[in-house]
Amino acid sequence: MSEQAMVITIGEGTCGIAAGAKEVTELLVKRFPAAVIRHVGCLGMCHQEVMVEIAHNGWSTLYGNVTKKNIPKIVRYYQGAAPQPDGIVIRSHPTDQPAPETEKNSYLTRQTRIALRNVGQLDPTSLEQYRSRNGYQAIEKIIRSGMTPEQVIEEVKISNLRGRGGAGFPTAIKWGFARSAPGDLKYLVCNGDEGDPGAFMDRSLLEGDPHNVLEGMLIAAYAIGASKGYAYIRAEYPLAVEYFGKAMADARQAGYLGKHILGSDFSFDLKIKEGAGAFVCGEETALLASIEGQRGMPRIRPPFPAIKGVFGKPTVINNVETLSNLAWIINNGGAAYAAIGTEKSKGTKVFALAGAVARGGLVEIPMGMSIRQLLEEIGGGSKSGRPLKAVQLGGPSGGCIPASMFDTPIEYEAINATGAIMGSGGMVVMDEKACMVDLARYFLEFTQLESCGKCTFCRIGTLRMKELLNKICAGEGEMSDLDLLAELAPQIKTASLCGLGQTAPNPVLTTLDYFRDEYIAHIKDKRCPGGVCKALITHTIIQKECTGCSICERYCPVDAIEGTLKKPETWVIDQQVCINCGMCAEVCNPEAILVQ
Amino acid sequence: MSKQSLEAKVEPELIRQWIQEIGSDSSAAVPLLQSIQKKYGYLPRKAMDLVVAGTEINASQLYGVATFYAQFRLTPVGRHLIKVCHGTACHVSGADRVNTSLRHILGITDEAEDTADNGSYTVENVACIGCCSLAPVMVVGTEAFPNLKGADAQRFLSKHAASVGEHLPGKSGDGDAVESGSAMEAHA
Repeated sequence: MSEQAMVITIGEGTCGIAAGAKEVTELLVKRFPAAVIRHVGCLGMCHQEVMVEIAHNGWSTLYGNVTKKNIPKIVRYYQGAAPQPDGIVIRSHPTDQPAPETEKNSYLTRQTRIALRNVGQLDPTSLEQYRSRNGYQAIEKIIRSGMTPEQVIEEVKISNLRGRGGAGFPTAIKWGFARSAPGDLKYLVCNGDEGDPGAFMDRSLLEGDPHNVLEGMLIAAYAIGASKGYAYIRAEYPLAVEYFGKAMADARQAGYLGKHILGSDFSFDLKIKEGAGAFVCGEETALLASIEGQRGMPRIRPPFPAIKGVFGKPTVINNVETLSNLAWIINNGGAAYAAIGTEKSKGTKVFALAGAVARGGLVEIPMGMSIRQLLEEIGGGSKSGRPLKAVQLGGPSGGCIPASMFDTPIEYEAINATGAIMGSGGMVVMDEKACMVDLARYFLEFTQLESCGKCTFCRIGTLRMKELLNKICAGEGEMSDLDLLAELAPQIKTASLCGLGQTAPNPVLTTLDYFRDEYIAHIKDKRCPGGVCKALITHTIIQKECTGCSICERYCPVDAIEGTLKKPETWVIDQQVCINCGMCAEVCNPEAILVQ
Repeated sequence: MSKQSLEAKVEPELIRQWIQEIGSDSSAAVPLLQSIQKKYGYLPRKAMDLVVAGTEINASQLYGVATFYAQFRLTPVGRHLIKVCHGTACHVSGADRVNTSLRHILGITDEAEDTADNGSYTVENVACIGCCSLAPVMVVGTEAFPNLKGADAQRFLSKHAASVGEHLPGKSGDGDAVESGSAMEAHA
């Protein structure tokens, strides 16, 4: 075989690496020494990691779930000694033709990728590869054709792009405020402090296509007249920090960043600020305080950051995903973007799909697609086969949408009407084995920990709510607790200064609305229908299923299990000692542990 | 070796060098603390005193910042750090069990403690690390382990401990890879 022609592309985002991409790469380099190896960001099919695409003799094959075990099979195929390996081919087609739609591939073909258009397609550390995919053409077009900042704002206004951080404020209007604010020095800040648990859109964008985010920042800076900027990126995303830093250095070298960009009067430079782990810093004014070296506590608005932001200067803060759409909008026109979506929500939205769904990962869909379509056509339905119960949108600020409402279209207004929010894009899917009360408790625990403490209702109100939920999960709840929760929620919402407190009760309110029967089961029947709340479940050994292998005994952290080897009838769990951690059920092969 | 030996020896020249590089105004507070923590694994009192002495940042601001952000810790960290992700996806797929299981094999029984008595490992619960489709996930050092069950977590840790020459003080359920081999396949 002629290995010269072979190009091997390997997804090496954080999730690819976590799934073992480095090891796979090492082996492939060894087995195909003459092949060209391309390292790209995450293609978004996290459920198929590690992913490898091999282009050879005009034919391209995408493999999923590649491990060191199945690499020999791939090697034998390319030696002509065996057919394509079973089960790991996602798609296979001539290189010069578009990929056909296969069942596994529908995950990709049902998406509309604008923000993600390059992610997984190019080496994020290569300026050349970004340029070869129309990179930096938008900023060149703006400067070379002499577009005024007002014209840029107008184009984005036509696109109807709304902030993708969660609240959905129109980007062009925000820019307009900062543009017209007096002052010579203005700032543009990229908000990459993706703090929602269950969300990784910004990570993938920064890791997989950092130049696109940077070009978006240049466009925004040009529009508002900013000469300085910050990229605020979570310290938990080391790869994103590294790649974005590399992109900045390469862009500076190539004349896209710094003084007199592309020979024009436009100058812009920026620094990376690593976030230090505070969810509240996703809030604009808290983020600004954090950049200034203070505790990340929000302040009263107005003045809005567009008038008085970082170091007192007019500042626009745009989310990573918002920025990732800008180059495409300038290149293709605002009208092309506005042609996608619904009446009030234009364009696309990226979601991090995770949880009980068969095919999880990063997806970008046109606004208006229904939740059901997303879960079934892209997500492949339930992973376990058990019916899906709900999706959680918007993380701790969002809410749960029950299965009965899965036909809701994904657009700002329709999602808000359910009591959840669009959010930044975290979408966690739950099947019948999830407990909605426990989930509400989990989010309240999170917001209560992350509350900065400035507003009393947020600081103490969320604590009281958490205590009530703890009580219910422990089986000690009373029906009046539900009234108390419903009473506290609107008070916290109205008496909190920032988005954190104003949305903190949402997970409780939506679960109370849609899953009230689960709360009642916890309170009246002392039963957790999902089998999650430790105080309301028991673990027992079904002796006729048990083989007496003793594995549960060895893994039990509290020595609650006893019995004689190979004598199933002797095995019991001491209920006085058992902490219901579930380790035994997890390790038991014949599934002889009954959880109820 | 014990926990006492984990206290860091702070090199004053290093702190002064960082102040030179990063700056000494108020906005340098977070990056300075990040440099210190990166080097020592936590924020030693002495290092913070040196920052206060060498910058415009006063002690109350610095301590305020150090206690506000989740990234910073004021107590020494074990020789190896395990981060257990507690994002939503990890929570609903059993992060708690991973935690229980790790603490068990490390013999950490006191709820307020996060470090094994022999100073080998610290188990830290962290907010989302952004690998939600591979939940539950833990990170040991810089290596991430995906799709964990409680038992896998113990096995991976045993393997890691063997490779770095650490002793695990707690009780392990290991030695039965055959019977529950399925759990291992996720990473094999």
